Amino acid sequence: MTRAEVQLAGMGEIVMARGAGVIGCIGLGSCVGTLLFDPRTHAAALAHVMLPEAHEQDAKLLPGKYATTAVPTLLRMLDLSPATASRLRAILIGGGELFQNRSQALRIGERNVETLHRLLCALRIDVVFEHTRGKTGSSFEFEVATGRIKVRAVGAAAIERDLAAALGIQRRAA
Amino acid sequence: MMTALSDLRTDALREIGNIGLGGAVTALSDLTGVLFTLEAPQIHRTDTATLPELCETPESVVVGTVSRVNGEWPGEGAFLFPWESACVLWQMLIQMQPSELSDIDELYRSVINEVSNIMLGNYLQAISQMTGFTLQMEPPAFAADMAQAVLSSVMVEAMYGQRELLAIETAFKTAEHHFKGYFLYLPETGNLEKLFSVLGI
Repeated sequence: MTRAEVQLAGMGEIVMARGAGVIGCIGLGSCVGTLLFDPRTHAAALAHVMLPEAHEQDAKLLPGKYATTAVPTLLRMLDLSPATASRLRAILIGGGELFQNRSQALRIGERNVETLHRLLCALRIDVVFEHTRGKTGSSFEFEVATGRIKVRAVGAAAIERDLAAALGIQRRAA
Repeated sequence: MMTALSDLRTDALREIGNIGLGGAVTALSDLTGVLFTLEAPQIHRTDTATLPELCETPESVVVGTVSRVNGEWPGEGAFLFPWESACVLWQMLIQMQPSELSDIDELYRSVINEVSNIMLGNYLQAISQMTGFTLQMEPPAFAADMAQAVLSSVMVEAMYGQRELLAIETAFKTAEHHFKGYFLYLPETGNLEKLFSVLGI
């Protein structure tokens, strides 16, 4: 996977790919890359979530910015309603706390992850892979065709996983 | 989408950045014996969180701190040093530097925390003198990680509970060493009127 082919979701943005392509996020700190995958249509939609709850009005401009607006927007983009959402599979990356020993920490990363879990749980969407609540920043790339994910952090070996089975991707006959 | 700031008010925020960091940089010069110069402060109003120059290489390592400021002009003060610049600073102050991220121990952390403490203390003092505001800072918290991850964590936290973010960014550098540091003050935007009324604009 070379960088040029990757469709990146910047802060508060949403990107989507169907059948092929690579999507990802760069430099996630307390933000959470929230990816929903539909095994039936082989479509993936990814939001770069910054904060747990929407501030009034603001969310209409950048629905991917808040967990509470990002999840319903991702469903709409995948042409699903809450009633049919349970066939989706979710991947969560980020939500870390980079600054240690903060005296008045707002714990934004942790609260982003908690809120996303609550929203996904209510829709009965399984989280099949999660790399969250760490102490470092991360970047990741997800290959839509194969379900392979690569998570990078500074000063650590990259984590690579084949999520095809967990995502319900049918292997094509060789 | 954003409430516009008049030119006069934008200039006033730049001037505050200048005066505040002028004091801070003098303190750093006293500490290191090296002369630092300021770049013109930049005012960013954003509903996401990017700092163009630092985000050119979003995955490069930066070393930085963030401190909560309480009082009449509350907000967050953050110092960010690209890895090479942090190494220059360590060399100046303790005549050694880590060769990689995992070498950063308590000593290295405390040097950066102390520099941040002294500089932010002087920054706030300069603003206090100008406005009469009482300002207190909490001890800095330290991070060394991908630039985009560190910066976005600072900015997202400052953005919490606000519709938009205001950042007063001032870069400082040296002529003879390859060094550049960034200071950000991220005030709670609800308190801006108070500042402007004290300044009479």
